[in-house]
Amino acid sequence: MSALLVARELARWYGPVVGLVDISLTLEGGIIGLLGPNGAGKSTFLKLVAGEIRPSRGTILVLGRDPFANRAHFAETGFCPQQDALYGEMTGLAFVTFLLRLSGWSKREARAQAARALERVGLADAMHRRTREYSRGMRQRAKIAQAIAHGPRLLVADEPLSGLDPIARRSVVDLLLDLARDGVHILVSSHVLHEVEGLTRNVLLLHRGRVLAQGEVPEIRTLLSRHPRKVDIHLRDARALARALVDLPGVRALHLSQDETSLGIETSDLEGFLAALPAVAARARAGIRSLETPDAGLEAVFDYLVN
Amino acid sequence: MAGLARSTLLLFSTQMSRVWWSRRTLFCLALAGAAPAMAWIVASSTTRVPAGAIAAHVGWLLLLQVIVPLLALVCGSAVITEEIEDRTITYLFSRPIPRAAVLLGRWLAALVLVSVLLGLSAALTAALASRSAAPGPAVDRGITVPLVEAALLGGAVYSGLFAAAGVFFRHPMIVGLGYAFAIEGFLANLPGRNQALTVQYYLRSLIADTGSAPWRTVEGFSSARFESAHSSILTLAVALLLVLSLACWRISRREFVLSA
Repeated sequence: MSALLVARELARWYGPVVGLVDISLTLEGGIIGLLGPNGAGKSTFLKLVAGEIRPSRGTILVLGRDPFANRAHFAETGFCPQQDALYGEMTGLAFVTFLLRLSGWSKREARAQAARALERVGLADAMHRRTREYSRGMRQRAKIAQAIAHGPRLLVADEPLSGLDPIARRSVVDLLLDLARDGVHILVSSHVLHEVEGLTRNVLLLHRGRVLAQGEVPEIRTLLSRHPRKVDIHLRDARALARALVDLPGVRALHLSQDETSLGIETSDLEGFLAALPAVAARARAGIRSLETPDAGLEAVFDYLVN
Repeated sequence: MAGLARSTLLLFSTQMSRVWWSRRTLFCLALAGAAPAMAWIVASSTTRVPAGAIAAHVGWLLLLQVIVPLLALVCGSAVITEEIEDRTITYLFSRPIPRAAVLLGRWLAALVLVSVLLGLSAALTAALASRSAAPGPAVDRGITVPLVEAALLGGAVYSGLFAAAGVFFRHPMIVGLGYAFAIEGFLANLPGRNQALTVQYYLRSLIADTGSAPWRTVEGFSSARFESAHSSILTLAVALLLVLSLACWRISRREFVLSA
């Protein structure tokens, strides 16, 4: 099987601003999650894959073709862009029908297929309303509908889950999984790790325009597990809990606040720590009020990987 | 070629259904109404200026020199820029169509709008000027027909130029304003054949060749040498074709970077 995407020394900059730097990789297909904090270069990478922009240096081949302004590529690719933009005066149905007709469909077939695509993303009831009346989540789903309506081999989706409520998010995740089962390759970006984890184990981590890591989520998790994680606990008796935690495996450091009502903990085994904490806290009668893991976000993960 | 024609027609018909009730159209409607309004005001308030002279002066000085380029600029510069500013061009450029179809289809829709507004504006200007009761040449076919023709031709050429400017420049409105009101004005006042580099020169030639006597009361129509009407139309048509061809070539290669 030929690779879905091959990039060689791929770089893209916008004037003095660097978007991507020397990316060389091969992606085989399936669902690939593109992860990275804001400004990591995810959208630039997806725009290059979708053929919206061309590289400043290097090459990219998608399904064996140079994607920029390539009509054969567009016939096989669906692109759900990040920008929250639709033709506001069109109905959802007219919007998707119009774009299908541009893809070569007859008027009747396009309308029927557009209705099917809109039903698939959960917009059956709203397809006859103007898109300017849509909520953010509905607009997001209309964007996905136009990207999948023509039956692409590759779906490029830039932050498709942003702006969706949990139920809509679940339905879009299910839709993407359905498409993947139908053999559609999906390249999907997000800056939220757990969103992507629900979709795929295969991820590409970008940071500051470079590939930090590529592989399966467990491998990334292994990287993370070596990283001491912080836990902040607000409680009645921090000293008592600190005393009880000193000998807990994985605990590397304890920071007691001056008023002894909060405790900062560094642990190399966050899951083990969180599992053991309730019993330890109960024995110490520490009176826990709240607990936070401030470095659990993706930014912290990237900081760790970068440093 | 069939793909280009089909996509152009589809984009044209879609854009036509979108264009009529936009705020831009309302602004253009108001702009197009300025010349008939001026002709009506002057014709109603004077007892000395004959109808033919009112139509010729308002037609040339206000309609053809100001409103035609301005209205064509507003409509023409939006052909590509509107899609970029609305950030919807992504949807069009990620479809398996020749990119030139986006320019041509949307420009044709702009052309229809410009032509309808300017044609009506020119005809109404002549009609309302004829309300003047002052003795002298009336508004005849030699006034009305060249005025309508020049308005339509000018609208087509200017809108094409400014649509093309949207492909080459980030701010076609500014470029277009500079071209229509600074560069053309400057060239028109240079000695020799420099005027032949302006659209206005050919519009004036068209009128001078086919218009009736009242046109010669307008400054600049009696003294200079002009092209024939056929030569003027041909020159402008060739220029328009060249500019649009160049813009089609450019849009097929240019990338449009949108902010998120």
